[in-house]
Amino acid sequence: MAASRLQLWQYLTAILMVFFLGYHLAERVPWISGVSYEEGLKSSHVYEVYTSPWGIVLLLLAYTALYHGLNGVRGILYEWKPGKWERLWDALFWLLFIVFAVLATSTIALLPSLHG
Amino acid sequence: MSEERKEPVWASNTPGIIRASLNPWLVKARNNPERLAFVLHRVTGVFLVVYLLLHLIVTNTPARAGWEAWDQLMETFGASLFNKIGEFILAGAVLFHGMNGIRLLLAEFFGVCIGKPEKPKPPYLAPSLRSCQRTLLYLVFALWPILWLLAGLIIFGVI
Repeated sequence: MAASRLQLWQYLTAILMVFFLGYHLAERVPWISGVSYEEGLKSSHVYEVYTSPWGIVLLLLAYTALYHGLNGVRGILYEWKPGKWERLWDALFWLLFIVFAVLATSTIALLPSLHG
Repeated sequence: MSEERKEPVWASNTPGIIRASLNPWLVKARNNPERLAFVLHRVTGVFLVVYLLLHLIVTNTPARAGWEAWDQLMETFGASLFNKIGEFILAGAVLFHGMNGIRLLLAEFFGVCIGKPEKPKPPYLAPSLRSCQRTLLYLVFALWPILWLLAGLIIFGVI
């Protein structure tokens, strides 16, 4: 991928992350969510968040953060070893992105019932 | 006769992953806060990627091994000092990367706070280094420790 386009995606995902990560942090800060730190880790609370429409926002955050983070590392690797190596960095980027995106999707899609 | 240089001059300016990216002691960051911010942005960014991948594996526990495994994991690590220290370091990385990222978005993507091109004149300081992005950068450096401390107080349950 051309370096300029790679950086454009970095900016676009950064803008999206301001909103998605903003929600995630607000949801975890006791002052805002009204849920204590320890309570927020309990299965009942986690289940409630994952099965609510906000669970989709967390999933979108996972995709966006994965792209932004792995694309950033790809940029560093491009600078380190450019030229013919770029195909390897691209392949590694997509491999890791797909594997972890599938993992994140399964967290929501294959979530077991709390009492089952 | 002067001693022969061990390293050619061009090598000191050649981007390398250690020299240019990750080691703040090897880059010329003196009187160059943008350079320091660049290095900190990369270091926190790499840390956050590693954290993100581990976070996605851990949060997948209910789907992979059931809720009992999740509760057991959280009882063991969730409220432990080890986890809280980790979250404190994470908060520091997120705060710097996020605030500096917003500055970079404004300056590099939206093109605000970088000044206007002008005819070079002594002391040849680029307009972008005299514009309000520099003020924003100082604001990031000033707010970062304050917000990090506040996050620490929340994480360790002081407030």
